[in-house]
Amino acid sequence: MSTQSVANEIVKPVSEKGPLTVKEVITNEYFLYVVSFVGFILAWHFVAAAEILGKSLATPAATVKELGRMMTIKLAGKNLLGHVWASAQRILIGFSLGAALGVPLGLFMALNRYVNAVVKPVFDLFKPMPPIAWISIAILWFGIGEPSKVFIIFIGSFVPCLLNAYNGIRIIDEELYDVVRVLGGNRWQEIFQVSFPAAFPALFAGLQISLSIAWTCVLAAELVSARSGLGWIIIRGMKLTKPELVIGGMAIIAIVAWLTSLAVGGLEKLLCPWKRTIKGL
Amino acid sequence: MGPFSGRKPKKGSAVTEEKKASKIVCENISKTFIQKGKQQVHVLEDIQLEVRSNELLVILGPGQSGKSTLLRIIAGLETPSEGRVLLDGKPVKGPGKDRGLVFQSYMLFFWRTVMGNVEMGPKLNGVDKRERRRIAQHYIDLVGLNGFEKHYPHQLSGGMKQRVGIARAYANNPEVMLLDEPFGQLDAQTRMFMEKETERIWQAEKRTVLFVTNNIDEAIFLADRIAAMDGKLPGRMTRVYDVPLPRPREHTDMEFLELRQKITDASQLVL
Repeated sequence: MSTQSVANEIVKPVSEKGPLTVKEVITNEYFLYVVSFVGFILAWHFVAAAEILGKSLATPAATVKELGRMMTIKLAGKNLLGHVWASAQRILIGFSLGAALGVPLGLFMALNRYVNAVVKPVFDLFKPMPPIAWISIAILWFGIGEPSKVFIIFIGSFVPCLLNAYNGIRIIDEELYDVVRVLGGNRWQEIFQVSFPAAFPALFAGLQISLSIAWTCVLAAELVSARSGLGWIIIRGMKLTKPELVIGGMAIIAIVAWLTSLAVGGLEKLLCPWKRTIKGL
Repeated sequence: MGPFSGRKPKKGSAVTEEKKASKIVCENISKTFIQKGKQQVHVLEDIQLEVRSNELLVILGPGQSGKSTLLRIIAGLETPSEGRVLLDGKPVKGPGKDRGLVFQSYMLFFWRTVMGNVEMGPKLNGVDKRERRRIAQHYIDLVGLNGFEKHYPHQLSGGMKQRVGIARAYANNPEVMLLDEPFGQLDAQTRMFMEKETERIWQAEKRTVLFVTNNIDEAIFLADRIAAMDGKLPGRMTRVYDVPLPRPREHTDMEFLELRQKITDASQLVL
């Protein structure tokens, strides 16, 4: 016996829009993004050109020119793209390691109280230490090559991944497990059918935070006698008092970090299709 | 005695006077919760209840009377401090697919579509994809959500969410359906509509139903029998009323209102 759908929803087509009004344009969010960004560039140019902060601030134009120069000229054997890739490699490995260890451990701790009892006290001890504080230990253990740089980034990534995975499980409504039980599911099914999917939003939030921290660690990591990378460019700019290099390095880090963040966001949209229709997320 | 004592066969039914088999028996159920700090909350006291096969029994009681706890004990999610629950003569040891539960706060899996939620029962029990899709579709149609299979819970209204909850419980083909104040979070009109839907669905696929509510009209509308609990803790079963009214019922029927008066009077006396 099939019944008619009794839901009262009627879907009307979106009405035709007239020509754009000024108000619509001004209050559009994308327009405001652009206005805000352009405004910032203009303010920057003004402050730099008027030398309000002395000669230590380069103008946007000078920065772009310097970056353009670096695309072709090689600095310490690499052009700009080479440096971007050098940093990105360290981030990729460090962040992946941090996530690969942090997420499963966080999940495990939240799901098993014995693991929690053993791991949590030690973790809480190390949790507040900033990655930069690990530099000397990193050099002691790994020398001054690539591994010590990756280690710094790993430390920075590991903590937020673990914490968010842990909390992601803890905030799940207990009754959802009851649902699985009354449907005849066992404990493994509770974990795989409820705990993991319900924790995804928190997990991805953790990945985003962790990735962002990884990028901020790049500078600290490349303090360990690096010869390439975006952090190195900034350090070199500081040493040679070339503010264009400093700001240029910062700008490139910002752009590449934004791109990687988009990638994680895209992955989240893929794995959490139910979030696609929620506005504002 | 009034018109509601003794048992009358329903109009139009071919049922004889022979006693229907007891599907569920609650024997001397008592429950005490021990909170942290050694505070004891005595929630249920010596509950005796018998639910017959394929009947719709309503447990009626005001808020905080322990009725949800009783339902959870029957579902197997809590263990009684004393006493036991028998299903078809066998003691209940824990939750299982033989007793389905519909939750007051819906408890839908927010990361799954309507179809994903409804097919969860068969999926957990190893039914293959085509078969469980077919089963789920049948129940989605039955509750009137045809066309909403791909919607997510956050896109649905309260009444629709609860219909998903009902379909999800039904799709697992339990012998007993337990509903814990399922319409408590809905507005009055949606609630009345859902009551009618509940009856329609129950008539379409008959099984034993245990329905918990605090709303007396809802109780009389739906029930074959009403087990009334008083309002004080520990909860006790005060009386069981037969409701031999013919279906479909109207809230304004004479017999409806008489029974309503009777139950209201009785509960006021127990103060």
